[in-house]
Amino acid sequence: MLRSDQIMATVEMIQKENLDVRTVTMGINLLDCRRDTVKDTCDRVEAKIAEKSDKFVETCNKVSMKYGIPVVNKRISVTPASFVGAGFKIHDFVALAKSLDRAAENAGVDILGGFSAQVEKGITDTDREFIASIPQSLEETERLCASINVGSSQKGINMEAVAMMGKTIKDLAERTSANGGFGAAKFVVFCNQPGDNPFMAGAIHGLEEAEVVLNVGVSGPGVIARSLEKTIKKRGKENLKLDDIAEEIKQITFRVTRCGELIGRQVSQELGVEFGVIDLSLAPTPKIGDSVGEILQILGVDVVGAPGSTAILALLNDAVKKGGIFASKAVGGLSGAFIPVMEDAVLADAVGKGALTLEKLEAMTCVCSVGLDMIPIPGDVGADTISAIIADEMALGMINQKTTAVRLIPVPGKTVGEMVSFGGLFGASPIMEVRNVNKSGRFIAWGGRIPAPIHSFKN
Amino acid sequence: MKKQFVISVMSKDRPGIVADITGTILDLDGDLADLNQSVLGGFFTMILIAEFDAKVTPEDVFAGFSHIQSETRIEANIKELTVPLETFKAELPKETFVVTGQGENRKGLVKIMGDFFNYRNINILDLVTTRDEQLYTMIFQVDLSSIDSVEDLRSELAALAEREQLALVLQHNDIFRATHEIGTPFDQDIRE
Repeated sequence: MLRSDQIMATVEMIQKENLDVRTVTMGINLLDCRRDTVKDTCDRVEAKIAEKSDKFVETCNKVSMKYGIPVVNKRISVTPASFVGAGFKIHDFVALAKSLDRAAENAGVDILGGFSAQVEKGITDTDREFIASIPQSLEETERLCASINVGSSQKGINMEAVAMMGKTIKDLAERTSANGGFGAAKFVVFCNQPGDNPFMAGAIHGLEEAEVVLNVGVSGPGVIARSLEKTIKKRGKENLKLDDIAEEIKQITFRVTRCGELIGRQVSQELGVEFGVIDLSLAPTPKIGDSVGEILQILGVDVVGAPGSTAILALLNDAVKKGGIFASKAVGGLSGAFIPVMEDAVLADAVGKGALTLEKLEAMTCVCSVGLDMIPIPGDVGADTISAIIADEMALGMINQKTTAVRLIPVPGKTVGEMVSFGGLFGASPIMEVRNVNKSGRFIAWGGRIPAPIHSFKN
Repeated sequence: MKKQFVISVMSKDRPGIVADITGTILDLDGDLADLNQSVLGGFFTMILIAEFDAKVTPEDVFAGFSHIQSETRIEANIKELTVPLETFKAELPKETFVVTGQGENRKGLVKIMGDFFNYRNINILDLVTTRDEQLYTMIFQVDLSSIDSVEDLRSELAALAEREQLALVLQHNDIFRATHEIGTPFDQDIRE
């Protein structure tokens, strides 16, 4: 029987509140692509991605058309490249990067993730070659994204790797200085990196995954924001408490997640590919009205970064999880609210007003996924300071047993307050101040590891 | 020998109307099969199928209804089934979609949509319309099994929407099941 109120509520969610499926990401195992030579390995990598993703984009578009729900991004993640190219030298990894880039182009996807390594405990000879190859690899490719996992709650933080990350980010930014250091926007450093995250730049196809899987990222924060505005207007803010708001977020997230699950399962069935997880993350885009920061403002802070911002984000993140987890058979990935500064117009605006600082963002990342994301900083901030910022963020993830990440862009030749814009989904923001620069060198110089925390010993 | 009647009833709605109507059928030793009821604008309507002994006539049922006390008299239509009942299908057709239409109220809106579907041999499975002040809302549940391209249909609906100044949206029925039911339309019965 048709219930007109329910039908119209859903239609409104799709039409007016821009409900979509933010990403469908196909994860492909490349471990069996190894051949005797680098060239043969690269050829096999390209051939396998082509074979597995042959009908991927076409099927996403077909299902999207049938259900009337846009699938905004179609992406590919692969087995971390350091495993695929074990024994490779720097130039070999650059060749592999170019193959992955070509494979992404041929598959019709805009981004491919998985140019990655996992060095949270130790660094192999291959890992060193691989990490050294990252700046050139990202400079000479268009669609490739790289990530390194340098810490985990189980193994602690590899501080030698953290020190290398600061240098890598600087090198990446300087090599791409003509584009504002854009290369650094395609590189992210993780603690507790999940192997089933569909969102870029940190998507990989983890070693624990099946041959090919589809992971789905749900719709963005715009649907939640519009729904909250509607509810507050309809019921009157004097009649609502924060627990009512949390309940509303849960219910809308349930619906949003179900749409993602429906589309994802249909695509996976048509492709004959295993369905992986739904990632409940609210991923903002620079588009007006698709902002996590806007939700914080709707819920009561006049500017993002004001006291209360962390508490609201905690409420939002938790309600999103509670609503989504019952709606899906399998939830995974990052699943929380993203706060990427350049990709969220309201956050970028708060940076411009001086309301949102690096320290406040760091506090906010304790209660949401993922971390210090897409933050442009002055080009003269040194590698050691960047590494120390990474170490702080990794420590939050390690101790709190959650994923944290850092994606900083030291914009060459620019300083605090100047605008930087990468266009499209990567967005724009004024450059954020980094305080206390060049005061962490002695800490980073130690190297070694920060041991795993006491609560990791659960066996 | 048994016989089956299709009975439709309309009256002003009030508590006890279902008990009175079904009580009349029971008094005639009738056995209810499928039944559907609805209330619209304070009026109650019911359509049902019931099986009776061969000796029971429509007039007996009318007579039973005439004793029911109501603000308006019970209006009924009774038709004896001469062919076997169509088997009731709990499952909707595979390609069930929902078309919603909204626009400023004017005469002929449902007819416009009805013609659109009829021209394309699209069967309407369920229909609800409401008027809220000047906003007229129509919700059609339709079977698109006979449609080759949903994409083409979307374009045709978009053209109709523009021509008739209506907001028309076509969505798969599974979307509404997924977003409003505890159980999911996935797994066993996910649509091909």
